[in-house]
Amino acid sequence: MQWNFQEIHQQAQTEAQAINSPQALEAFRLKYLGKKGLVAAVFASLGTADPSQKAAIGKGANDLRGLVEGLIAAKSAGISTAKVSGEQVDFSLPGTGEVLGHTHILTQTMQEIIAVFEQMGFVTIETPEIETEFNNFTGLNIPIDHPSRDAFDTFYLDAEDPSAQGRRLLLRSHTSPGQVRIMKQHKPPMAVIVPGRVYRPDAVDASHSFMFHQIEGLLVDEKVQFSELKGLLTEFCRRFFGPKVVMRFRPHFFPFTEPSAEVDINAEILGIQRKKWLEILGCGMVNPKVFEAVGYPKGKYKGFAFGMGVERMAMLKYGINDIRLFYENDARFLKQF
Amino acid sequence: MKLSLGWLKDYIDPKISTEELIERLTMAGLEVEGVEYIGKDIVLEIEITPNRPDCLYILGLAQEIGAITGQAVNPPKIKSAKTAQLKELIHIESKEDCSRYIGTLIKGVQIKDAPPEMKVRLASLGINAINNAVDITNFVLMETGQPLHAFDHDKIAGGKINVRRAKAGESIVTLDGIERKLDSSILVIADAQKPVAIAGIMGGRDSQITSSTKNILLESAHFDMGLIRRASRTLGLRSDSSYRFERNVSFAGVAIGSDRATELLLQLSGGQLSGRGEILSKAKSVAIKIKVKVSDIESLLGLKITPLKIKTWLSRLGFKVTAKAGVLTVTPPANRVDIGQDVDVIEEIARMIGFDHLPSKLPTIKAANIPVNKRPREIKDQIRRTLTAGGIDEIITHSMINTKALVKSNMADMPALRIFNPLNQDQELMRPVILPSFLQAVVTNFNRGQKDLRIFEIGKTYFKDKEKETLGILLTGRRTHDWRLSKKDSVEVLDLKGNLERIFKNISVSVIYGKTEMQVFDPGCAASIIVDGKQIGVLGKIDRKALNNWDIKNQDIYFAGLHLDEILSKPGKFVRYQAISEFPAIIRDVSLAVKKEVPYKKIEEICLQQGGDILRSVQFIEQYLGDKIQSGHKGLVFSCHYQSNIRTLREDEVNAAHERILQALTRDLGAVRR
Repeated sequence: MQWNFQEIHQQAQTEAQAINSPQALEAFRLKYLGKKGLVAAVFASLGTADPSQKAAIGKGANDLRGLVEGLIAAKSAGISTAKVSGEQVDFSLPGTGEVLGHTHILTQTMQEIIAVFEQMGFVTIETPEIETEFNNFTGLNIPIDHPSRDAFDTFYLDAEDPSAQGRRLLLRSHTSPGQVRIMKQHKPPMAVIVPGRVYRPDAVDASHSFMFHQIEGLLVDEKVQFSELKGLLTEFCRRFFGPKVVMRFRPHFFPFTEPSAEVDINAEILGIQRKKWLEILGCGMVNPKVFEAVGYPKGKYKGFAFGMGVERMAMLKYGINDIRLFYENDARFLKQF
Repeated sequence: MKLSLGWLKDYIDPKISTEELIERLTMAGLEVEGVEYIGKDIVLEIEITPNRPDCLYILGLAQEIGAITGQAVNPPKIKSAKTAQLKELIHIESKEDCSRYIGTLIKGVQIKDAPPEMKVRLASLGINAINNAVDITNFVLMETGQPLHAFDHDKIAGGKINVRRAKAGESIVTLDGIERKLDSSILVIADAQKPVAIAGIMGGRDSQITSSTKNILLESAHFDMGLIRRASRTLGLRSDSSYRFERNVSFAGVAIGSDRATELLLQLSGGQLSGRGEILSKAKSVAIKIKVKVSDIESLLGLKITPLKIKTWLSRLGFKVTAKAGVLTVTPPANRVDIGQDVDVIEEIARMIGFDHLPSKLPTIKAANIPVNKRPREIKDQIRRTLTAGGIDEIITHSMINTKALVKSNMADMPALRIFNPLNQDQELMRPVILPSFLQAVVTNFNRGQKDLRIFEIGKTYFKDKEKETLGILLTGRRTHDWRLSKKDSVEVLDLKGNLERIFKNISVSVIYGKTEMQVFDPGCAASIIVDGKQIGVLGKIDRKALNNWDIKNQDIYFAGLHLDEILSKPGKFVRYQAISEFPAIIRDVSLAVKKEVPYKKIEEICLQQGGDILRSVQFIEQYLGDKIQSGHKGLVFSCHYQSNIRTLREDEVNAAHERILQALTRDLGAVRR
C-alpha cells in the first residue's frame, strides 16, 4: 500500500478549515483518529508493507496523527465543545420573574434633592403637618391681617391650638414652620432640610393642588453670608439640572427672609421654548425678627433659608404637564419612573 | 400693577430700551410679568410684592426707575392748598382706626368729562373714565398712591362727616349698586344720619358725584391697614383703594394726594376752594433713623464696599445717609414703609448692586450640626425598597377625604379631624385611616381597565392631637404577570403577609398576628398585627359589602394598614456572626392531620420545645385543605432540621428527638400521622 502523505496532509488541512460546528469537528476526528480512522489504517498497513517502507510509513502515520491533533486543538478553541443537548432556546422570549415595583416620582425627586444637600452636610428633619399659627405665621414675621398672608391661604382645623387660646390649629401652608420648630429646639450651628406635605385652599387645575410637597432648607451659624446661599444653590442646581444650567437670583419678598430672592433657571436646559426663565425656588437671609421670635440672642446669629416645590421640580425635570397626575395614581403613570 | 410707559415719561426718561427696562426692573425685584400695547403706549404688568406699596403708583415707580437707571425724576410741583380751616367739617370718633383725615371743600364745580389726556392715561391702566371729579381722584391715586374719595357735599346730611365704626343693623348701598350690611368691625364715613362710605374701600351711591353736583367734599385719609383688610375680606369687596390701604399708604402722602387733587379739581372743574378740615389723631411720625454698620453690610453680602458707593446707591433711592466711623445713619423716604431695620437697608444695597453681581461661594457646614435620628427615614426607605422589590408600586394620595368615603368603607363611626374651611365636601376630613385613599386609587385604575394592582403608600393619618406615619399595602388581581411562575391565579392574603414579614425581618421587628374585629374585613380572613403587645395594624381581605359600596366588582382586594411610628423608633438589632456548622444536617419530613383550628404556629412551638439543642429549625412545606382527609381536619407537611456545630449527629439521637416531637404532637394536639 502506497501512502501519499503530502496529499493526505493537504486534504486534512482543507477539511479542517471548513469545520464550523462541534459535530463536524467530531466527524473530522473520527475520520482520522477514530478506531477505523485513517491513522489506524496507516498503522494497520505496516503489517503488509515492504520492510524498506516501514520506517517511512510509521513516521508518516505519527506525523499525520500529530497534524490532525494539532488541527483539532486549534479548531476546538473556536468551537464550543460542550455536550450537545439538542435544546434550542429562543432568547427573544422574555425572562421569567416578577417586575420591580416603582417608587413614586415625587418620592424619587425628594430623595434626589435631599441627597444633594445631605452630601453637602445638611441633615434631614421631618416636622408635623398640623401646625400652630405661631409656627406657620407669627414666628415667621407674617402678621395676622397682613397682605403678606395672601400668598399663604390656609386650611384651619376644627381643633383648638392648646398653646393659644381661641386660635385654631391649621395645616401648614409651607414647610417654613419647620424652621421655627427646629430653632426653638436647637442652638446653632445647624444645616437642616425639612421635606413634607403642605396645604393651601387652591382650586385644583393642571398647575394647582390643595396638597403638595415642599423642601425647606435652613443654615444658621454666627457668620453666614448671602454669597454662601448663592454658592450652595448654584451647586444644587448644577447637580440637579446638570452642569450647564444657567441661573439668576432675582430680588423678591418673603416676610421671613431679608434680603430675599427668587431663583430662575434657563428654560432652554429643559427643552422649554415658550419662556426664557423658569422660577424654581425662593430663598434669602433669615430675617432677624425670626431669630427674635425663636428666642435667639439679638444679633448673635445669621442664617439663610430656601424652599422649593417638589411637584414643580419634578414637573420641570421630567416634563410632567399636569400636577393632578401625581395623586391620581394611574398605574401607567406610576410605572414610568 | 400696570405701568404705562407713556405716563412714566411725564416724570422720567429712563433712556434705555423697553427690553432693557423690563430686564432691569425684574432684576431689581419688580418682576415684569407681561407687556401690553395700548394705542401708542406700552404698558407693563409688574408683580409688586406686598412689602412695596411705594410701587403701587406711577411716581413711586418713577423714583425706583430713577434709582435703577440713574436718571433724574421730575415729579409735578404740588402746591399745598392755602385756605380757611374748617374745624367742624371733620370729626374722627374712631381715632385708632384713622390716624389722619383731610377733607377739602370745593364749591361751584361743573361736572363734565375730564380732558382727553387724562382719560388716555386712565385707559392705559384699564380705568374707565366717568367724570372730571371721579377721574381726578383715580388719576391722583395712580399718580401719587393716595386713595381719595369725592362726596357730593350737598348729599351729606348736616354737611359734616364723622369717621366711626358702623352700628349693628346699618347698611349702605355702595357705588356698585349693591347693598352691604355693616357691623362694628367695619369703619365708615357717616353724615348726621347714616354711613356715606365704607372707609378705605368704597363710597356710597347716595353721595356720589353726579352731573348735578355743585359742591365737592374731597377725602384724603390714612386708615389702619389691618382694619381695612379685615373689612374688605368680611364684605368680599376689594377696590384699588382697599388694595393700597391694606398694604399701608404713606402718612405723608395724605397731604400730597389731597393737594394734587385739589389743584386739578380747581383747574378742571372751575370750582372755588372753600376751606379744609384736617385731623391728625396720631402724632406725625418722626422720620426714622436706622444705623447700619459698613462691616455688617460687607459680612452679610460677602464683599468689600465703600461708604461712598453705598451713599450713592441709597441717595438715588431717596434715602438720606450720613456716614461716621464705619456706621451709616439712614433715613428712608416717607413712602418706604418697608424699611425698618438694618437688613432692609442692606437688601436695598444688594438690589442696587444686583444680586447676580454679588459673589458666590460654597458655605462652610460645621460637623457640629444638630443631632438627628436618621433611623426613621432609613426604615421608611428600607420599606420602600422591600416593597418595590416585591413588584409593588408606591402611590401618593390626598390626605383629605370625605365622610362618604368612611361610610362606604364600613367605618361610619370613625372619628375624624374636620377641616374648618374646606374647599369642598370632598376634602372635609383629614383621613383617620388610609384605606379609603387606596380604594379610590383602585376605582380610578379599574375604571381605566387596570385590574392587577399592587400599591403601597407611606403617608400620614390624622387624629385630634397628632398625626401618625402610616403604611398601607393593597394587592388585587393576578398573582404574577408571568404565567410561567404562577401556581395560583390571584393574590391571596398570605401574599400580603409575606410582604409584611420581609419588612419586619429587614428591620428586626418581631410580630404576632391576632384577631381583629374591624368590619371592613371578611371576618375569617383578617388579622391584627401586634408588636410588643400593642396592635399597630391590621391586614385582611376587604369585605364584599364594602367593595360593593365602592362599586368594585368581581375581584378580591387584600389590604394591610399599619402605624409605623412604633417600629420607626426601634433601634434595629445588632447581628453577631454565628459559626456555620461543618457537620451534616439531618432532615426529617413530617406529614400530619390535625383539627382545622390548630394553628401551624402551635405545631412549630411544640417541635422546638421537644426537639432539644439538636433541632435547628422547622420549615413549613405545605397545607392540605381538600376532602381526602377526615372532615374538620387539615393536612400539614413540614420538615425538621437537625444539626450540631460540634459533631456529626448519630442516627439514634435524631430518632429519639424526632419521636419525642411526634408523640407530643399526638398527645397535645391530637395529630395523626399521614
